[in-house]
Amino acid sequence: MEPKEQSKEKKEKLWFWNWLIASVIFRLVLIYFPKNLNLASRPEVSTPLTSLRRLAEGYWLKQLSVSPYAGSMYHGSPLLLSLLGPLTVKRIEGQPDHLLCSLVFVIADIVNAMLIRATGQNLQMEYIRSLKLLDHVKLLEKPGKIIPSGDIAALVYLWNPFTIVACVGLSTSPIENLAIILSLYGACKRQAPLAAFGWVIATHLSLYPAILIIPMILLLGYGPDTPPRKLFLQRRNVEVGDNPPNDRCCEREEVVHRPEVPHIFSWRPVIHFLCWTSLWSVYVLVLCGISVKRYGGLWELFKRTYGFMLTVQDLSPNIGVLWYFFAEVFDFFRNFFLIVFHGNILFMMLPLAIRLKHRPCFLAFVYIAISSMLKSYPSVGDSALYLGLLGLFVNELADMQFSFFLFCGYVGVSLLSPVMHNLWIWRGTGNANFYFATAMAYACLQIILVVESVSAMLNHDRMLRKPLTELQDGKS
Amino acid sequence: MRFKMYGSFRCRMVLLLLFLLLDCNFSNCLADTSSEATTHTNNWAVLVCTSRFWFNYRHMANTLSLYRTVKRLGIPDERIILMLADDMACNARNKYPAQVFNNENHKLNLYGDNVEVDYRGYEVTVENFFRVLTGRHENAVPRSKRLLSDEGSHILLYMTGHGGDEFLKFQDSEELQSHDLADAVKQMKEKRRFKELLIMVDTCQAATLFSQLQSPGVLAIGSSMKGENSYSHHLDSDVGVSVVDRFTFYTLGFFERLNMYNNDSLISLFSSYNPSMLMSTAYYRTDLYQRHLEEVPVTNFFGSVMEMIHTDSAYSLLSRKESFRVEIKMSADKSVPDKKRLMDNPSDLDQISELNIEDQHGALKRIWSTIQKEMEKVEDVDAFVSYGLVLIVPLLAVSMWLTW
Repeated sequence: MEPKEQSKEKKEKLWFWNWLIASVIFRLVLIYFPKNLNLASRPEVSTPLTSLRRLAEGYWLKQLSVSPYAGSMYHGSPLLLSLLGPLTVKRIEGQPDHLLCSLVFVIADIVNAMLIRATGQNLQMEYIRSLKLLDHVKLLEKPGKIIPSGDIAALVYLWNPFTIVACVGLSTSPIENLAIILSLYGACKRQAPLAAFGWVIATHLSLYPAILIIPMILLLGYGPDTPPRKLFLQRRNVEVGDNPPNDRCCEREEVVHRPEVPHIFSWRPVIHFLCWTSLWSVYVLVLCGISVKRYGGLWELFKRTYGFMLTVQDLSPNIGVLWYFFAEVFDFFRNFFLIVFHGNILFMMLPLAIRLKHRPCFLAFVYIAISSMLKSYPSVGDSALYLGLLGLFVNELADMQFSFFLFCGYVGVSLLSPVMHNLWIWRGTGNANFYFATAMAYACLQIILVVESVSAMLNHDRMLRKPLTELQDGKS
Repeated sequence: MRFKMYGSFRCRMVLLLLFLLLDCNFSNCLADTSSEATTHTNNWAVLVCTSRFWFNYRHMANTLSLYRTVKRLGIPDERIILMLADDMACNARNKYPAQVFNNENHKLNLYGDNVEVDYRGYEVTVENFFRVLTGRHENAVPRSKRLLSDEGSHILLYMTGHGGDEFLKFQDSEELQSHDLADAVKQMKEKRRFKELLIMVDTCQAATLFSQLQSPGVLAIGSSMKGENSYSHHLDSDVGVSVVDRFTFYTLGFFERLNMYNNDSLISLFSSYNPSMLMSTAYYRTDLYQRHLEEVPVTNFFGSVMEMIHTDSAYSLLSRKESFRVEIKMSADKSVPDKKRLMDNPSDLDQISELNIEDQHGALKRIWSTIQKEMEKVEDVDAFVSYGLVLIVPLLAVSMWLTW
């Protein structure tokens, strides 16, 4: 019996590693294809913010003692320029161009997968612990085991065609995703310096992860995802209801004997997190300031990076919806609509935070999905991130509606979008509306995904409440 | 490493200050400091042909030859004022219409595609000449007809035609007198319209024309002295008139073997005139000119070769303080006269910045300004940033270990 179980466990452990190695090999094979399969020229993959070609141009300008932001080619961080710039120049005989950069992105993907797996394991432990606390015997003894969401999420992330395309297509999205996942991991593990570092770097590289500060604070204060507090309180009331309410001290003992449910918001980790955030921000700002001191200083840097992102200066087509709109809006209304589009992300933050404060990881997923839909230059690398994080909630979202429709929709959009682009740009038989139609379909799919996943999660919470209410009803 | 850089920067500042003090004393001793204080900004050429009529073909050929030379060596049309009667090329008596030659071998057509004449025909008058020199024009005169020089300009003034003892004949109806010319030059000097002026005159008794000059910074050469005539070089039997004067012919001979990059000095030009070949004595006066002729390249007047200062900074984004600091660094290598103008500004700026620092309340702003000063002292940016990036990993590990 035992050796069989051990070999079975080993097999299960190896299963994950096998798939991981297979995905790495697959990526390396694709990298060795000539010219990276021209993926780097696809607008869905490389945007003005993530394109490696632009980074190489920025680095070349810097080597000529000209500001890397001259001429509106490079709009990223100067630290990334110092990191990846020298790699773009090194050429090895007989190997494809940018091999070193591709290897960096593959390594980033691997680290992402490992971190997602670790986060998933953490979340799953918390989930099982909460179920035990709620005495959800039924769920724990379900016929199929609780799926290891960490492994599933990591493999979904690795084998998602979007991720592979973003990695092979020489975009810097893997590094941005690395920063975001690092911060989530650090927050789940209650490691304030790591979480702060990840958040600062993610905000520095692309502005939109700044909204993840709310899930960070909730993660550090409350802990990883748990069912709503109400359930724990109800459970306690039911338990107390069992015993006659005469003995006050007995009741208190009961309460004390129960293992602690952390529904108190602990401020210490949050204060630590904020201190470390400020320290890391000062460090990053000083480094950036020194990098660009001869090219106009920090203000120029902010104008060229964040200003570029927020004012949507580049209207080349991508898989988002902003380019089409801002190509035709009148100048008089341009600022207004910029505020509307970016405010759209901000408006949704507070209600979601209120409703999902007991599930900060899921809240982070929803924020990432919303921001990757409404950001100024979206790409498939952003979808890769949230689709990977979706895998973390496989257990809770098992009953999600429209999942098959969404899957088919994603496949359809990812196949049609290059076709429409070809029709429009290369053959000239289509026009911008063809391409924008696929972009709009993509946005609709993302909206449906967000809405359905949130409702599925809330349904799951309601389902958790049911046995307790039955118990209560049964009692009374 | 940082202390060494700090030290070397301080050393350079101290040396620079000492140098500037010495230069200050030195320049105070000199009688005229104004011409040394300004930088040489641009070169202008005013080329005047004061004759008309077919038999004065050679004067127009002289002027056009010099125009071509000056353009070839780099002065653009915007900075050339060409005053010609311009009645040769399309003259009814010209066998070669729209062509003007300065040699009987007809190799070079001086009246090519890109001759821009600013004052032509009856506009070449003494009044217009003086208006050009002094810059006192009517309102409606276009910019192409104005001498828009500034206090750093080097001006070449070339005049050719018929002249005599202390005068120059203009278009057979007026004359320009030497004291009027001296007066005009004096006005130009007072209005700071030139840094250095070279007057070249190719007429009979040319040296008398600039005998009354008194303004500093003026160099003058004439093709003949008082009592001598200047002669034409040769007769072109095909065209039917003399096509070039001797003085200008030998001047052109000197320049034809030059290009923009030659360093030949003015003294080589002036000593190239052979009195027996010229059949007159080319006389030049240098008493009003401070610099030694051996050190002055001909391209200072006849061409347009500018000194280039290379900076690493982007053009319009620097703050003023930084730009002056960059200039101080560069001018440590430059010649002495240029420093005086720059010296005044940095000390003012430092004073202002110190006042600002003292006025600001709050330790935070003081800390930020000290951080900025330290940041500005970092020389090797790339290495610093790479070290900073590499340092992140151990810092992160240490911080995580601390808060475990």
